[in-house]
Amino acid sequence: MIRPNRTHALRLLVAWAVLSVIGVVIGLQLSLPPGSQSQQSIEQSWLLKLMTLISTPVFVGVVLYILYAVFAFRQRRGVLEDGPPSYGNIRIQVAWVAITAVVVFILAGVGISELDAAATGTNFTSSNAPALATSGSVGTTEGHALQVQVIAQQWSFTYRYADYSGVESLHLVLPVNANVVLHVTSTDILHSFWAYQLGVKADANPGVDNVTYVTTLQTGSFTVRCAELCGIWHGNMSDTNGAVVSQADFATWIAQLQKDNLSIPVPSYAPYYFPSPRVKGT
Amino acid sequence: MVARGNNRGMTRLVVLVLTVGILSALVALFIGGFVIRVPESLTASPATVAQGSTPAQNAFIHLETVASVNTAITFPRPDDPHPTWVSYLPTTILKVPANSTVTMQIDQEDTPSGLRNPFWSQAFGIEGGTFHMTYFDDKGNPQEGDFSSIPDPATAAHTFAIPDLGVFVPLEGVNAAAPAGSMNVITFSFKTGKPGVYHWQCFVPCGSGTIYGNGGPMQTLGYMAGFLVVQ
Amino acid sequence: MATATLGNGDPTLQASERQMVLPTNLLTGIILAALGYYVGVQIGNGFGFNDGLNTGVLLGYTFGSVMFLVGLGFANYPLARLFGWPIAPQSSGDEYRGAWRYLNLSLDHKVIGVQYLVAMLMAMFFGGVGAMLIRTSLLSPDQLVVPPDKYLVLVSMHSVMMVFVASAAIVGPFGNFFVPYMIGTNRMAFPRLEALSFWLVPPAIVILLAAPLFGGFPTGWTGYTPLSEQAGQGFDSYIVGFALIGIALCVSGVNMLTTIISLRAPGMTWTRLPIFVWGVFSASILGTFAAPILASALIMQGFDRSMNTSFFISSNGGSPYLWENLFWFFGHPEVYIFILPAFGIVLELIPHFARKPLWGYRTAVVGLLGVTLLSWFVWQHHLFVSGIAPALRPFYMFSTEMISIPTGIVFLVAFGTLWRAKLSLTVPMLFCLGFLFNFLIGGLSGVFLSDVPSDVTLHGSYFSMAHFHFTIVGGEIFAIIAAIYYWFPKMTGRMLNTRLGKIHFWWMMIAFNLAFMPLFAAGILDMPRRVSTYAPSLQALNQWVSFWAYLLFASMLLFAVNVIWSWFFNAKLAPADPWHARSIEWLLPTPLPRRNFERIPTFTSGPYDYGNPSPRPAVDLSPEPAPA
Repeated sequence: MIRPNRTHALRLLVAWAVLSVIGVVIGLQLSLPPGSQSQQSIEQSWLLKLMTLISTPVFVGVVLYILYAVFAFRQRRGVLEDGPPSYGNIRIQVAWVAITAVVVFILAGVGISELDAAATGTNFTSSNAPALATSGSVGTTEGHALQVQVIAQQWSFTYRYADYSGVESLHLVLPVNANVVLHVTSTDILHSFWAYQLGVKADANPGVDNVTYVTTLQTGSFTVRCAELCGIWHGNMSDTNGAVVSQADFATWIAQLQKDNLSIPVPSYAPYYFPSPRVKGT
Repeated sequence: MVARGNNRGMTRLVVLVLTVGILSALVALFIGGFVIRVPESLTASPATVAQGSTPAQNAFIHLETVASVNTAITFPRPDDPHPTWVSYLPTTILKVPANSTVTMQIDQEDTPSGLRNPFWSQAFGIEGGTFHMTYFDDKGNPQEGDFSSIPDPATAAHTFAIPDLGVFVPLEGVNAAAPAGSMNVITFSFKTGKPGVYHWQCFVPCGSGTIYGNGGPMQTLGYMAGFLVVQ
Repeated sequence: MATATLGNGDPTLQASERQMVLPTNLLTGIILAALGYYVGVQIGNGFGFNDGLNTGVLLGYTFGSVMFLVGLGFANYPLARLFGWPIAPQSSGDEYRGAWRYLNLSLDHKVIGVQYLVAMLMAMFFGGVGAMLIRTSLLSPDQLVVPPDKYLVLVSMHSVMMVFVASAAIVGPFGNFFVPYMIGTNRMAFPRLEALSFWLVPPAIVILLAAPLFGGFPTGWTGYTPLSEQAGQGFDSYIVGFALIGIALCVSGVNMLTTIISLRAPGMTWTRLPIFVWGVFSASILGTFAAPILASALIMQGFDRSMNTSFFISSNGGSPYLWENLFWFFGHPEVYIFILPAFGIVLELIPHFARKPLWGYRTAVVGLLGVTLLSWFVWQHHLFVSGIAPALRPFYMFSTEMISIPTGIVFLVAFGTLWRAKLSLTVPMLFCLGFLFNFLIGGLSGVFLSDVPSDVTLHGSYFSMAHFHFTIVGGEIFAIIAAIYYWFPKMTGRMLNTRLGKIHFWWMMIAFNLAFMPLFAAGILDMPRRVSTYAPSLQALNQWVSFWAYLLFASMLLFAVNVIWSWFFNAKLAPADPWHARSIEWLLPTPLPRRNFERIPTFTSGPYDYGNPSPRPAVDLSPEPAPA
């Protein structure tokens, strides 16, 4: 039976609307990683959710259209007929491009404004550094965030606390409700520091001080992994003992670390370190 | 016509069988090259002295670190494909029992290379926090003692580290003043927990001739890269 | 034996044997290649740094490849020109009979197309075996099946082999075979360049497969320094192999562009060009201009490894950032080289199976050219977390999200063609519809990755890996398979079995989606890329993925059985126009004559003239021109 265009269009539109609403409702129930341990991870979870919600009608629409076309627009058995000779419809073409452009601009706009807000785990100019979360925080004075250096080497991360005479630790421990500035660097090749629950990822490049920010909001543990292929133990270069602890616990911990570090010759803190490439061991 | 058709079909069948055969052989070679593992693993031997009532077992592993495989003393490896590579001997795949105390003795024969990160000059995660070391001082006289770290990070030759178990032990290099063929013997113990496969590595960039010292033997099983299989 | 004849095939002139020391054919090529390799290694070991090891291998591979090409006969024409020998006319490889034509240098674009097809399928097979090993190794987080050092060699081999396949698998077989037909010409503009672009591929594949013999290379297809400079001699395989493929891309692009621009028959205007030719055209623009950047960057790495330069070594003043940027400035157009011909195929096939004209043809062309243009401006999205200047991120996020607009146009055009169509769900059409579904998922996941804050979690994880597998495998490979089912009757004279084809489609579609969809979850759940171990909580997921991956490989084996049986063991000839399509290649007889057209045809309408109540023939193929 030849149905008019309007019938097909209406059916598709109604089905699409219903399925999209269902999809969006389901999407709203999802709680997406990385979670809420830091301000950065909250922002990222929110953005991931937004994009899931925008993608749902698109996905539903395309799949619905393909399935509908396959069932409604089939060649009749044993016949070889041509379809109507339609070469295009300027209005529909313009409308489609315009709508996709608008969606893209909105998405880009949201993304850029998120970037601009001073609370994402990405590289920022220091003038946009986040203001102090609370006054009197351990290790942070008014207007100064906790500086932690992440040193990536083959095949482990170590962490130096610049504010505490550069003491070095095997696990990353951060105080809660603090602004932390992470200086990520490497002593050999490319690595990437990925603290999953904190929503932080920054490449570690030898001879480069890659600065990224995190504002911790909840206590708990986090996992650190390497996210840039660095050789044989790249997959093993992970640490599940990262922790965000209360301010008091952090004070205790850092004091103990300073005592332990007295016995080893800790080199002076530097923003980055150059390894010597071809001489054995230096 | 029929005969010619059959001949062509026969030829094609033969070609197909040959091609499939050669391809299968190539694929088997390819797979084998990746899957067949060298070296063999070393199973810890039961320690001769039972120490205390818990944990249940004690195990002992004896390793040797050398500047090049062809100068090995304790565990020579004559047919090694890389005789000039720095290496742990006799193998880097170590099997130890779970829930036990593992004692390791490492005959360290290599000269100092120096730690790139002096943080690794400390020992972590070992019983009592100290390792026992026999070494040679600057006059070439033999000395020994218990240490929780090596005094000068620039004198490290290698480290033995199992990051997932929190074990890090620096291995002092043989002093230049020591007599030829000397070795430093480092002994320490650590506890294993539940079964699993853990990697261990060295943190001294001792792969000479490779950029940043971490190529070659540092990334090849059987030399400076290995597994601790806890069973 | 290559012979030389005077003039341009003028039958009145005598053919005369040219003086050659060796006949030039594949065997000579292989022997000279081995010789060249040996000489190169000896020279390199003599004067290079680092004991000359890397210099030796680099020179060995380079000399070996050049001598291989000389042995095949590529030097004959230039030498003849140089020394004034009698020059052979543009030969079509006629001196060989039967299967030997396909194993030697031939200037016939039809032969080159078939050579490419076989080479691409073989390379895909090797890449697929690698993939199966990878998935086997990932069945458990313990690394005892394939140890981590060999695992990285495996991953790198699989990825580089598949990149080789993806960059040439459409333009090579189908572009070379069908573009001359579609524009109405007897040959391509530069047949020797066309042959060269093919014959660079076997050396590249062999060099890549030889990498494990030297210890392999651990860097994946991106070859990041400084890890690559830490690698042993295996990495030199990557440098030379990838450089050869880059040269092949550039050469093929130049040839294709010149052909399409200059050799179109009368009546074949730009607006009547089949959309497949537009897809090839836009990919060739990218190939011609992006590949030289790759080759230069690879040469720089070669110098770092053999001549103690420090382009990429930071402690000596170089920078790993330089490699990242150079590589991705090539690398992003490269992935559009993968997908633009695939768009061309899907938009080409849908009108014929919908029996409707291509809806919005000019918009589709604008879409393809828009992707081509925009692909130059997005490469930093691979470097969002690398520590690039912060002010750059908004621009590249914007440009990357913008590129989804022309990509969406492809869907618009496909949908417009499907509207009120008379669809025949043949096997090629099924793969085109599968393409649309898979590429939708791939494209949407790309939007997730383009957003910088969410990219912080998703970069370098299995999410990104699932994204590019959906776009490349679910997109390009599905399009390639559609093209094979579609054009197999014309290229080989045999039909592929339809029932096996439908089984293949459903099996592959289901296995592919079930295997790769969970990888998005793995990425969001903190699993980085290129790892041989993972958190134990992800083991069930990885085992599920491996299971379906095995089934995916099995479906491709079924396809291989179909292809081999239909091609070599099925005597039944295919009809000239099995799909009842209206484009020019289907108006020609099967098997195709050696000479495309006795007289250059005149085109009188586009190839999608369906539904026209009084259609004119698309092209005037009569052997004599119509009387004035």
